[in-house]
Amino acid sequence: MATLTIDGRRVEAPAGTFLLQACRQAGVSVPTLCDHPAVEPYGGCRLCVVDVTRPEWDGWRKMVVSCLYPVEDGLIVDTRSDRVIETRRVVLDLLLARSPRTPLIQRLAREYGIERTSYEPNPEPTDCILCGLCVRICDRLGHSAIGTADRGAGRVVAPPFHEPPEACVGCLACAEICPTGFIRFESGPDRRRIWNRDFEMVRCPRCGRAHVTKAQAAWYARRMGWPEAEFEVCDSCRRRDMAATTVRLGEGPTGNAAS
Amino acid sequence: MRIASRQHFEEAVAAARDRREARTRDIWVCCGTGCLANGSAAVAEAFRSRIEAEGLQTGLGVYTKTTGCHGFCQRGPLVVIQPEGILYTRVQARDVPEILEKTIGRGEVVERLLYRDPNTRTPVARYEEIPFYRHQTRIAMRNIGRLDPGDLDDALALGAYGGLVRALFEKTPEEVIEEVRKAGLRGRGGAGFSTARKWAAARKARGDRKFVLCNGDEGDPGAFKDRSILEGDPHSVLEGMIIGAYAVGAHEGYIYVRDEYPLAVVHVQKAIEDARERGLLGRDILGSGFDFDLRVSRGGGAFVCGESSALMRSIEGKVGEPRAKYIHASDRGLFDLPTVLNNVETWADVGAILTHGGEWFAAYGTAKSRGTKAFSLVGKVKNTGLIELPMGESLRRIIFDIGGGILKDRPFKAVQTGGPSGGCLPADRLDLPVDYEVLTENGSMMGSGGMIVMDDRTCMVDVARYFLKFLSEESCGKCVPCREGLRQMLHIFDDLCEGRGRPGDIERIERLARGMQLGSLCELGKSAPNPVLSTLRYFRDEYEAHIDRKACPAGICRTLTTYRIIEDPCTGCHQCTKVCPVEAIEGRPRQKHRILPEKCISCGSCYDVCPENCIEFLPRGGREEAIHGHADH
Amino acid sequence: MEHSSRAVACVDLAPLEEILQRYPREEPSLIQVLQDVQRAYHYLPCEVLERVARELGVPLSKVFQVSTFYRAFSLTPKGKVVIKVCTGTACHIRGAPQIIDEVHRRLGIGPGETTADLGFTLETVNCVGACAMAPVVIVNDRYHGGVRPASVGDYLEPKE
Repeated sequence: MATLTIDGRRVEAPAGTFLLQACRQAGVSVPTLCDHPAVEPYGGCRLCVVDVTRPEWDGWRKMVVSCLYPVEDGLIVDTRSDRVIETRRVVLDLLLARSPRTPLIQRLAREYGIERTSYEPNPEPTDCILCGLCVRICDRLGHSAIGTADRGAGRVVAPPFHEPPEACVGCLACAEICPTGFIRFESGPDRRRIWNRDFEMVRCPRCGRAHVTKAQAAWYARRMGWPEAEFEVCDSCRRRDMAATTVRLGEGPTGNAAS
Repeated sequence: MRIASRQHFEEAVAAARDRREARTRDIWVCCGTGCLANGSAAVAEAFRSRIEAEGLQTGLGVYTKTTGCHGFCQRGPLVVIQPEGILYTRVQARDVPEILEKTIGRGEVVERLLYRDPNTRTPVARYEEIPFYRHQTRIAMRNIGRLDPGDLDDALALGAYGGLVRALFEKTPEEVIEEVRKAGLRGRGGAGFSTARKWAAARKARGDRKFVLCNGDEGDPGAFKDRSILEGDPHSVLEGMIIGAYAVGAHEGYIYVRDEYPLAVVHVQKAIEDARERGLLGRDILGSGFDFDLRVSRGGGAFVCGESSALMRSIEGKVGEPRAKYIHASDRGLFDLPTVLNNVETWADVGAILTHGGEWFAAYGTAKSRGTKAFSLVGKVKNTGLIELPMGESLRRIIFDIGGGILKDRPFKAVQTGGPSGGCLPADRLDLPVDYEVLTENGSMMGSGGMIVMDDRTCMVDVARYFLKFLSEESCGKCVPCREGLRQMLHIFDDLCEGRGRPGDIERIERLARGMQLGSLCELGKSAPNPVLSTLRYFRDEYEAHIDRKACPAGICRTLTTYRIIEDPCTGCHQCTKVCPVEAIEGRPRQKHRILPEKCISCGSCYDVCPENCIEFLPRGGREEAIHGHADH
Repeated sequence: MEHSSRAVACVDLAPLEEILQRYPREEPSLIQVLQDVQRAYHYLPCEVLERVARELGVPLSKVFQVSTFYRAFSLTPKGKVVIKVCTGTACHIRGAPQIIDEVHRRLGIGPGETTADLGFTLETVNCVGACAMAPVVIVNDRYHGGVRPASVGDYLEPKE
């Protein structure tokens, strides 16, 4: 455990965690766009900047991103200093220029008092804020179907060669984690379409709901070394089965099945 | 043959020295990138074939050596005749018979090939007497230009690996670190972090797999000291790295060389092979029991890879995206293992420090910046090339004594140091002593040691825009303030240079600069506003001219500038017509010339060649009172 | 969605085999292998990248990411004559922009572009460390120093 001060309050945080969690546990809100518990911290959006100092630093302070700065005993954190707020304002102003029509960005910018960007609005507005969540979740799940292409201002999220990605299984994790809804998909009872690739759906043999793609089921099966059929039953039916089993177990070998 | 003990090493050095001294006459032909571009390979070949054909080799003991960069690249191809130390500049293959006949044969000097002082026009025969070299103190570049980088024996004869022997056989790793601490050595890549502290942290780090790395990703445009060291004396870098590895307890290392330096890659690779063959790399180095080996990693062409965490990702085969460095590389660097990364020049200093002792090195320089520092002196200066001198020398001495002053004796305007992370210093800062702290305090930075001299024909707004454009192409794009900030900053500067500047732009620039400095992930973004802020600090009037009057006082921003020929002094020498790329100047020889405004692209080529100073420029839209010509600048 | 950057072509994989022999089959070899591929093929053909990804055990998305991140690599074939204009600071203040303009004026291509007949490619390079000879132009790996707009024409004669 580390004991630190956040905005004047003493806070305990488990060693090995980062300032952002400590702030949130202390009820201090810190804005972020690229942080998500499912993936490693990234430090790309720079919204979660805070000032840190220590008594022995003689008033010197440094600005760090809280998502990546490890908690330390005795650290004094200021999440609302003038320069922290100003830096977040510049970041949001810039993001609003990049994505002027994106509701999430408009809302955050407004929270920091920015109605219109002071910079040149993007002639081709995009909802992609390059937070990298989609790429990181895809890596995390072991597909690595998408990545970034190019660099600097030209950087984009893209599958290899901007073509339908072969390694994609259509799990939609990228679209679901995307904070702005930039990644589009269509999902119906028979087919799903994402990254310009079509996927055949698997229907749950119990309830008939189309819940995974065939590619997804095959991937899980390969990964776990189980038969593909294991992944055809949808989660709700599986839970229902599990509950039934539990009830049966509770009732003993001669009991009657619950309804 | 493999050198297997200290005694064996001393014998090898003695033998190499004897062989070097036995050579009565050496002809050194510089084959660095600069000289090669000027045709030095053909010159070396001409010497070789001619010597062979005339049987000079056996009779007189004449040896042609291709050496690394002498640093005086602008005057290449360079040839030095030893032991006299006669330097010939701009030598071509056709000059070879004359040099052989006169200098080698009769001991006479070929005067027309000598260096001439650009100010006094007097020829200087000896290498050491040329002001460009005379004012230098070379430590990192101690053997550059004096040896054949492809010949390990040549290096041994000049003392290479002597520091390594002392480290391995006389000192514990802790004592090696102590020696480097006494030297006061700080990182030569620009940030100036204490080398000994870095090493001590990595020594303490847990784990038995550690790395030492050499940062040869010299990306600052206008800097080429690291290229020259890698090309001209790769063994100095190898020696430093082996010593460093011994000090921190690493057994593996990488030399990261940027892709734009093909010759450096070749020379380093050859040096590694040679060193391995002789037992200076690999298992049980020189019989000391210490193992260490090196590999070359070629960069892929990305300035951001000069940043340490990006460089490590690049060696790992990934894109060069920096990471937050709240956990130091000495604990988690390459492959998340303890790592020491130093610049080429830093590594090159290490061998000399171990040979002569830390105190010897610390005797040079200033209180906080010890030792010497290599710079590449380029731009609008008479002598351009590579220099090394003690820290604390003044900019004036560098630019005017060594550099010989400004080209065509035009007025000095600024010197840019530190590349895209640095800034521009004006004339009133010329007497500043050059060290890490002074440069930073004045809004610039040491950086890679590039010094780009600018005259009055340089627009400072354009220079700032140049660096913004450079950085916007080089930003990795991971973090918002750098990626989007540079895009927007460049947009503002495009407007300024093209006459669309608006009141309030300066304030917008300052606010954005502050946000980028505080908010960016890595040093590339954090320091990106420096060229902007330093030019704004010293040349605010130029910004105001661009915004308020839509005028470029230096006549560089094309959309803001038109040119015309003042009829009076024009002699019709026709030189301007020859350099005009668009045939926009009409006039017969010896008659007055005229620029055709509808064809002129305002490139300024004519202005720069006119011997009569009769071309002037004025803001487009031509308000007569705003004319800037030669006379008033 | 962006346009596909896949160039359709049949590619001889023999040079790749030879390149792969030089390096351990692991991710850290990726950039080194791509360097050699770029030199052997003058660009990075898709088929080759797919093979590289399989052989080194690196996801194709990461290979694509690296291929588009670094300047040394190109996914499209380059011209017979590659003109690299150094845009280092020394070259910039000594007139590199005018040289780029002049090439553009004569060939109609900007930096990063190739003429339709695959004759010429214009590239800019961020300092080749030959600042003493600024401005520098490299034509098919031959360095030229002190270049002026008026002398650009000399380099535009098709070679080989």
